[in-house]
Amino acid sequence: MRLERMAAGGARVLVRQALEVAAKDLRVEVRSGEALPVIVPFGAAALLLLPIAVGADLPLLRQAGWGMFWVVVLLFGTLVTVRGTAVDDPAQRDLLALLGVDPAARFAGQTLASALLLVAFQLLLVPVAVALYDPGLAGWWWLGPTVPLVAVGLAALGTLAGTLTAGLPARGTLAPLLVVPLSVPLLLAGTQVAVGAASGRSPVVWLLLLLVVDLVVLAAGVLAAGSVGETAR
Amino acid sequence: MTAGTPASARATATARLGRWVWLPAATAVLLATGLAAAMAAPPDRLQGNLQRLMYVHVPAAWLAYLAFAVTFGASLAWLWRRRPGADRLAAASAEVGVFFTGLALVLGSVWGKPVWGVWWTWDPRLVTTALLLFVYLGYLALRHAVADPLARARRAAVLGVIAFVQVPIVHLSVVWWRALHQPPTVLKPGDPTIDHAMLAALLVNVAAFTALYVLLVARRLELARLEDEAERLLAEGEPPLAGAAVTPPRPEGMRERG
Amino acid sequence: MGPVGPPLAALRGVGVRLGATPVLRAVDLEVGAGQAVGLVGANGSGKTTLLRVLATLLPSTSGGGTVLGAPLDAPARLAVRPAIALLGHAPALYPQLTLDENLALVARLLGERPGRAAQALEVVGLAGARQRRAAHCSQGMLRRAELARALLTRPRLLLLDEAHAGLDPAASGLVALLVDDVRGRGGAAVLVSHQPRRLRPLVDRIVELADGRLRPVEEAGDAP
Repeated sequence: MRLERMAAGGARVLVRQALEVAAKDLRVEVRSGEALPVIVPFGAAALLLLPIAVGADLPLLRQAGWGMFWVVVLLFGTLVTVRGTAVDDPAQRDLLALLGVDPAARFAGQTLASALLLVAFQLLLVPVAVALYDPGLAGWWWLGPTVPLVAVGLAALGTLAGTLTAGLPARGTLAPLLVVPLSVPLLLAGTQVAVGAASGRSPVVWLLLLLVVDLVVLAAGVLAAGSVGETAR
Repeated sequence: MTAGTPASARATATARLGRWVWLPAATAVLLATGLAAAMAAPPDRLQGNLQRLMYVHVPAAWLAYLAFAVTFGASLAWLWRRRPGADRLAAASAEVGVFFTGLALVLGSVWGKPVWGVWWTWDPRLVTTALLLFVYLGYLALRHAVADPLARARRAAVLGVIAFVQVPIVHLSVVWWRALHQPPTVLKPGDPTIDHAMLAALLVNVAAFTALYVLLVARRLELARLEDEAERLLAEGEPPLAGAAVTPPRPEGMRERG
Repeated sequence: MGPVGPPLAALRGVGVRLGATPVLRAVDLEVGAGQAVGLVGANGSGKTTLLRVLATLLPSTSGGGTVLGAPLDAPARLAVRPAIALLGHAPALYPQLTLDENLALVARLLGERPGRAAQALEVVGLAGARQRRAAHCSQGMLRRAELARALLTRPRLLLLDEAHAGLDPAASGLVALLVDDVRGRGGAAVLVSHQPRRLRPLVDRIVELADGRLRPVEEAGDAP
């Protein structure tokens, strides 16, 4: 009886499964405290390192400020998406498979949880970047749409890379390598939106690029989740 | 023709002869022609003889992208039909592709320093080629990290497809970002703006490098096929069961050590 | 009691190869409704692998069969999965979540009332530890929580790996309870155990996995 009920649910069931997975991921992350309490300070430390390395030349830092912010978001944000608790161990994977959780729903849920963590991650680093680099805050409103769009794209790439490297000992280092080259559009869009907004030009075309990247990666992830989900071991 | 008959043996020998003699010979001839053409073509008005590096750099870059496309196609083919040959082709093309990508980048650097005064220009195609190298390396690293052949083929195929789909977007974003490089002189429809003799020399070299790519991939494929064949023969010989490694314990062993 | 109706699980000549290494050669097994089968074998003989094949989680490289009416290699096997409960070596619990949260998650994913999670934990004697995180529970407690999960999901096919591992005598009675519950509802169970004395009262017959194949073990004789 339960099986028939589940089969008839269709899309609603998938959405519910995705939300359960996302809620579980967020609760686990809040309790284990790996992503935000550790990686935010790590990212902040990275932001601190550049001025120490190139000399605290204020005009240079002002120009490089937003760029550095987005680079740190990219590199360290990837670590957030491939955090240890983001991937289930074999027993948990077996359990979710037996409970009928669709791999696409699992991907969507993990991506949603990572995206929310990345939004928080970015928002926590913004004041650090502003304080250390004093970049122009003209047109600051563009951060509004940019932050979630970058978060979703990076989360999808990271979750995908995490799935491809699940169970491998080298996961922590291999997954970021897979993510970083393909996330360059996110980096470029982030920085160019800032440049465009600061000089009064419309950054909409870059926001559209972000949207396209997000949709492509999400679609790819949903399609791929089914392929990789059924692994032998 | 059944296996083991004289007719089939002759056919196999002919095929092998073709693979091992005809292809390398043709490649060698094309490469020699390409070199001659590169030397015979007129030197560039501005850059002089150094510009001849273009005849190696440009074909290498094109082949980097071709190899990537082949990996994409083979990955799709594997996901569709699960034929092990498709997986081997994807891997072989990726390995050869890494070589050509690296070559293109190094030559671009060597060419760029005297001409533009810098080892690296932020030309969009160069940037995308560099990112392509990292994507390849990630692909090969993933293959290397997975032990089970089926899981390896599946994960690599998914990455092969996704990476290829993403790269045009990556390139587009980089192009929008910068526009330093000379406009694509060879790809413009109508009369290309470079000298006809140079164009001819360039195209000969592209053909030569493509032959080289095919040769290298064919050799790598053969190697992979032999590896898989060896493993299959080993498996057919009924290797010991996994559980046979565990035997009942021998408590006398402890007493012997006194 | 003989089998009634079509078997719940039937494997014919199933072989499993992990990479190039064969683990199972040609396994034949039939488990009918209301039956419980005990599975014994030396370490590394492939018992866990066989359980995962029965759970439709591991495809066979040769041979075939059906589980709960769905062929092993067909997409239909995905539909019967919620009716299968597999308790493996490692507990399938999230260490950072409490026992209650772990089971409530399972309940919600199956469309059951979350209150049933609390009920199941009470049956296995973990009511007092409901709010304790799984990471702070002992192995035995985690094993009991897994039994609670199996009770919660009301499976038609119960697969227990190392059925008595980590359970004190009081909790071992829970395994019998669970097996009887499943059998009473017309389901079936396959139990792996290294303690044949505890296993024999629970099952109708015992089979041994050796050399990649199953062979029945004499009821009255010794199991390894």
